[in-house]
Amino acid sequence: MKMPSREILLRFQSLLALVGMILFLSWHEPNFLTLANWQNILLQISVNLCLSIGMTLIILTGGIDLSVGAILGLSGAVAAGVLKNGLALPALGVQLQFTPFGAVIAGIVVGLVLGWFNGIAITRFRLPPFVATLGMLSIGRGLTMLWTNGFPITGLGATFGFIGAGFWLGVPTAIWISALLVVVFYVVAKHSVLGRYIYAVGGSERAASFSGVNTNRVKVWVYTLGGGLAAVGGLILTARLDAADPKAGLGYELDSIAAVVIGGTSLSGGRGSICGTVLGCLIIGVLNNGLVLLEVSPFWQQVIKGLVIIAAVALDKAGTKKE
Amino acid sequence: MKRVLGWFIVAVVVAVIFWRFPLFRVVSLQEAAAAKATKTFNATEFAEGFWNTRLMQSLERAVSAEKLLTGIRNNPADAKKNFGRTLGVSESYTFFVAGHGRVVAANEDEVQLVVSEGATEAEVSLQVGLLFNSAVRDGTGLLNVSDYPNSQDFNAISEALNRIIEERVQPPLREQAQVGRIVRFVGCAEVNHEETDLKPLKIVPIQASVE
Repeated sequence: MKMPSREILLRFQSLLALVGMILFLSWHEPNFLTLANWQNILLQISVNLCLSIGMTLIILTGGIDLSVGAILGLSGAVAAGVLKNGLALPALGVQLQFTPFGAVIAGIVVGLVLGWFNGIAITRFRLPPFVATLGMLSIGRGLTMLWTNGFPITGLGATFGFIGAGFWLGVPTAIWISALLVVVFYVVAKHSVLGRYIYAVGGSERAASFSGVNTNRVKVWVYTLGGGLAAVGGLILTARLDAADPKAGLGYELDSIAAVVIGGTSLSGGRGSICGTVLGCLIIGVLNNGLVLLEVSPFWQQVIKGLVIIAAVALDKAGTKKE
Repeated sequence: MKRVLGWFIVAVVVAVIFWRFPLFRVVSLQEAAAAKATKTFNATEFAEGFWNTRLMQSLERAVSAEKLLTGIRNNPADAKKNFGRTLGVSESYTFFVAGHGRVVAANEDEVQLVVSEGATEAEVSLQVGLLFNSAVRDGTGLLNVSDYPNSQDFNAISEALNRIIEERVQPPLREQAQVGRIVRFVGCAEVNHEETDLKPLKIVPIQASVE
């Protein structure tokens, strides 16, 4: 059956927007279509991609997580702190001197634990996701300041730095990591029981519950994974900068939500995909890169990004109405 | 039973990974403190060594104050290009300069000199108050930021060099510099704002003698 052109437009809006931007920038900026520039774009979006994969799962359940930026900052700071200074246990008279691998695990555990707290606050205490994760945003920022005393932790060494600044087969490690996460979570979302439950909870929590899905457990899993993925983003960022900045990740939650929405995931849950989010991240990355190449003022860049997000949500609403 | 076996296998795999790639090493607090002390960068010690060996032996590399001031008067951009040094992408720049001049004014913070023949207005201001800038660290070109693992260590070097100057160079200069006397100096100037920092040229003295 032939699909009406309006439906095609709505269905492939993100892809069409990306192709349109690429064509325009390739024609206007000779440097845009170079390998180095594309490697740069992919490197730039790798952190946002980690956050956005988790955010997609959360938004698919009908939730939202405003704390991913703060979790990113704290996870990176904890990893950097234990790697650089170790962890003193005065009661036992010993200090744990972490290896780079240990620091990575510590950072991820911090992200998972904070994400789990979000899930518990939302399911056990019945807090709206917006409120629970807003609280976690503040807690995460405060804990980061306490852990770092407000100073960056620098000089983390080449082994740890490999995560963010290293190369494998000529491609930056950060791109490999985010690509691997895309593949893993695409499979989780599309071909696993958890994935089906996530869509079911987002589509209709009540119906999912009546069908025997433990909706609370699904939500706790999703927020925990969201925290863990934010931690991976934090580790990449910290390794790339060779420093854990106490203010790292400030405002990243908005970029992540924007990528998910632009990628076609419905804010009301139940509809969207990891592939769409990858497109959303690419659109934001290409837009940022293009605006810089076109020498647009940073102030206008913010305005333009805001307009793109509004347009994406408006198109999404139009699509939903039609359905 | 199947589930327990599954968890058991996962636990064994995790244990093997952590055994092969340990997460941390346990050391006593005393051992950790000793290791940290040897690893910690001692900026004061470094600055002392740098001052005595490298800096004092490089003073003859400083550009003549008269030449520099003439250059600044004629074309500040060319003077910056020919004699200045910029750190990274900073807009500030430094000069490493040596010369002599007659004291025309002196107070607790600066000793003002005229350097050129016939000049009446102060052309150079030797800084004898508290020092906050990085003129000496950056001005000589002997220290490179990329040689240090982090910017905190690099900043600490500047602070330590400034403390040496405050303790050894400034007090005798402040005491002896009286209007009319001749001061011979070697020092570094940091220019952040050309309108205020070039006229007079604010120099942090590394060596100064009053005749």
